Amino acid sequence: MKPEDRAGEGVFLAFQYPVEIPGVSNINFIKTAVNEVREYKGQPVLETKEFVKLLKDKQTLVGLSGKLANRSVNEGFSGGEKKRNEIFQMAMLNPKLGILDETDSGLDIDALRVVANGVNELKSKENAFVVITHYQRLLDYIVPDFVHVLYDGKIVKTGTKELALELEEKGYDWIIDALKK
Amino acid sequence: MATLTLTDTDRFLINQEGQDFSHEAKTFIKIRELALKNLKNLDFPTPKMEAWKYTNLRGVAKQEFRPQSAINVVCSRLKSHLIPNLDAYVLVFVNGFFAPELSKVKEDKDGDFIVTNLNKAKSSFIKLVEPHLGFLTRDKDQFFANLNAAFSQDGAFVYVKAGKQLDKPVHVINLIDGDLVVAYPRNLIIAEQNAEANIIVSHETLDTAVALNNTVNEVFVGEGAHVHIDKIQNENTNTYHIGGDYAEQAKDSTFTINTIPVNGKLIRNNVNILLDGEGCTANLNGAVCLNGDIHVDNQTYVDHAKPNCESHELYKCVVNDSASSIFNGKIFVNKIAQKTNAFQSNANILLSDNAKAYSKPQLEIYADDVKCSHGCTIGQFDEEALFYLRARGIREATAKKVLLDAFIGEVLDNIKIEAVRTHVDGLIAKNFDSKK
Repeated sequence: MKPEDRAGEGVFLAFQYPVEIPGVSNINFIKTAVNEVREYKGQPVLETKEFVKLLKDKQTLVGLSGKLANRSVNEGFSGGEKKRNEIFQMAMLNPKLGILDETDSGLDIDALRVVANGVNELKSKENAFVVITHYQRLLDYIVPDFVHVLYDGKIVKTGTKELALELEEKGYDWIIDALKK
Repeated sequence: MATLTLTDTDRFLINQEGQDFSHEAKTFIKIRELALKNLKNLDFPTPKMEAWKYTNLRGVAKQEFRPQSAINVVCSRLKSHLIPNLDAYVLVFVNGFFAPELSKVKEDKDGDFIVTNLNKAKSSFIKLVEPHLGFLTRDKDQFFANLNAAFSQDGAFVYVKAGKQLDKPVHVINLIDGDLVVAYPRNLIIAEQNAEANIIVSHETLDTAVALNNTVNEVFVGEGAHVHIDKIQNENTNTYHIGGDYAEQAKDSTFTINTIPVNGKLIRNNVNILLDGEGCTANLNGAVCLNGDIHVDNQTYVDHAKPNCESHELYKCVVNDSASSIFNGKIFVNKIAQKTNAFQSNANILLSDNAKAYSKPQLEIYADDVKCSHGCTIGQFDEEALFYLRARGIREATAKKVLLDAFIGEVLDNIKIEAVRTHVDGLIAKNFDSKK
């Protein structure tokens, strides 16, 4: 399936290392994306007024400064600003499935809290999130319903949020050892 | 018995006879005679010459291009060649001849500036024209510069007095109509000390089948003056365009020339800038978006003759289908030109298997305390950026357009007049939309 069709169907991937695109304004980019996804779904495109309202709402939600909105996509953004931009885009596109690929890497505590808050605000009965991480810290803020451990491309252990705490304490070796037996 | 063989030059020149310039002042007739003398000793450019290595003019040499008198262009036809929302002095030339009924001139001798056609200036303002006309194109070796000097029918004359500026930009519109026409428009632009001038020159065709447009801009930028030219080349796909831009800058002056080739069969631009005073800045920019099988050859030459000057060259080219883009940028730094800053950058994106880009920087530096750099890239779209845009729901075609706009946008940002920028955006978009 083409990446744009996957997005149209409601899948969103928040990249671990979001790429910088100089010369493409953040606002122009997200407006084009929002309207192309709406077109895919057969919905009418957003008029400027409605778009601006949506933009302002979501900017506040994820704490993305208005100044960043006018810059080029991710150009000169700090690590935290880039991750916040990912969550902002997710908020604007409102996907059914959001995949956050190591969203917490490179973030300080404050940035982490903002990002987690954004995700928690977006969580609903109509959508689902897959959060990929190696650390417990993020899971203090985004409390998982399920925890899966992947090894060699396969899910080898499933549990609840307690499993994450156990991993933080004991590491991953005990799971791999258990598999080998 | 001796056999007389006609060279390509001979044959070409024979077809240019028939124009009568005898009514001109002696001083101007002399310019034409000298140019003609130079031409008789020059071979018609072929790819055997280094300067024409990638640009084959066989199509021009073998066809019988002749100057043809102006066809009456009705006012209503002009509308589609104007730039929307641009309030400017419009000077219209058809096949190189002035169309006064379609133009707006300003000829007040006591005013701040003069905007009129060159032939009028040659009689009414001879004292302003004589010290300048033809001085920058005296090089014996330049075939097309001499051709234009010998046979130019008319062109724009823009003169701004010391310390003054134009109250509106000047828009020079060159139109070509008819078959196997050759036009030689020649613009003379003079900005005295601390003066300012903004000029847009556009080249378009009417109902022409095959044509040759050999055009020259001769620009004198006085001390502390600022001259800005936006050059838009948008002729049909059967038109050959050979343009020379010659500028001489006095100290502390700024000259910017934005070259925007949009359409044509073959376009060759020679930009020559002489920095003849300290503290000058020259900006040469090119936004080249090509499709079909158009061939565009941009040659630049910046002569840092004096110390403490800056030159910036940015040529960005997007090449699609089987089009080709050539860039050859020469920078010469005289041994007395210490503290020279010369930056040259040529970036190319190839969109198809048959698209071609050639890039050649040439730096000849004789001073030892300078900063000179040149850079060139030839590649495709940034795949990661493309994927990022698509992953957000943007269709591939739109995503490519977004990246294209971003790429070329950096050069187009040098167009300061909003109406002109909007117009150019539209021309480029139109040219590319149907081809994706």
